Amino acid sequence: MTDMIRSLTLNARLALTAFVLGFVALFAGNPYKGAAATLNTKELAITMATNADQISVTTVADWIIQGRSDFRVVDLRPAAAFAEYHIPPAENIPVTELGGSNLGRNEKIILYSESGARDAQAWMLLRAKGYRGAYVLHGGLEAWKDSILFPRVPANATPAQLVDFARIKDVSKYFGGSPQAGAGDSTTTAVVMPKLAMPTPSATPAAGAPKKKKKEGC
Amino acid sequence: MTAPFFKYGFFGEDISLVVAFAIGIGFGFFLERAGFNSAKKLAAQFYFKDLTVFKVMFTAIVTAMLGVYYLSVFGVMDLGLVYLTPTFLLPEIIGGFILGIGFVVGGYCPGTACVGAATGRIDALVLFVGIFAGVFGFNEFYPLLKGLYLATPMGQLTLPQVTGLPYGFIVFAVVLMALGGFWGAEWVEKKMAARKVEASS
Repeated sequence: MTDMIRSLTLNARLALTAFVLGFVALFAGNPYKGAAATLNTKELAITMATNADQISVTTVADWIIQGRSDFRVVDLRPAAAFAEYHIPPAENIPVTELGGSNLGRNEKIILYSESGARDAQAWMLLRAKGYRGAYVLHGGLEAWKDSILFPRVPANATPAQLVDFARIKDVSKYFGGSPQAGAGDSTTTAVVMPKLAMPTPSATPAAGAPKKKKKEGC
Repeated sequence: MTAPFFKYGFFGEDISLVVAFAIGIGFGFFLERAGFNSAKKLAAQFYFKDLTVFKVMFTAIVTAMLGVYYLSVFGVMDLGLVYLTPTFLLPEIIGGFILGIGFVVGGYCPGTACVGAATGRIDALVLFVGIFAGVFGFNEFYPLLKGLYLATPMGQLTLPQVTGLPYGFIVFAVVLMALGGFWGAEWVEKKMAARKVEASS
């Protein structure tokens, strides 16, 4: 056998190699990765332990105001809840459709749901599929409402807290919220959700609009 | 590490240009080594006297296909992330004809024109200028050509999708096609060489 191969020309040897590889391909299966995914549990555990998987609502609010477009916000809630209210640049992608969405593995993706259970699960799904830039909005939409839309200042606020509140008031107004100045914890005034037609920074794409596909190829 | 590196964010847009430059130089180097800096060699293809172009290109296709296939099967590469150029059937057929005619008349295709120009061939340099004149003209007339340019869109197609056959089967079929093509090409070359001898004697 080895003598036979040795007697062949280089071209014939290459042709034979190609033939063998092609033949084996008949039985080697599909090269596309299906629904199966692999997890590096240790890496994920470290990420969770160091809170590197979380991103705060104030950070995201700042990014939106700055008009940054290097991140995508994904709303995991049902379409009806999404239609009622969502964080301005968010797009609505149900958990079941995360795998087939047009999210890029090299993109910064911020996931949120109502309070943070669903989004943590979705985060795990995305990380398992190799989306390295997936983050969870810390506290979910509840935190967004509490800290951005309707921020409150404690009755016995320290000067530092008051300074913070003055800053967050502007952020809140930008998103159409109503800061609850001086309101104690007991007085729950009926808060009105802002209308969806709130000022969206021009740099961020409109909700649900398909992202401009970058042209590739030769 | 999993490929494609760019899609997984191992490097950014700026480094990707450096990588593209290195790959381009490598591509040009091997075209030159195959003798594709000569219009005579390239044009001989159309007279069936020298089918090196066919053989080199089909070798590249088979090598790349086997590489991509096995890297994906072994999980080193995510084939789902590899960009596929969308198919626009009618404009591609017309564009193919224009490129073919230009190839026969000019003696170079765009890639080999760059290689020829880099090795100092004047005919290649003229063709190189022609390429950019064509690109400029296309862009200037784009509003007129847009309808044709975007006609018959078929999306990103692959042979396993279109035929419904298993991926591995297509791989094997393409390998067989290539091997048959190489054998046929050598046979044609020998035939043409024999005819030449007859004619000259």
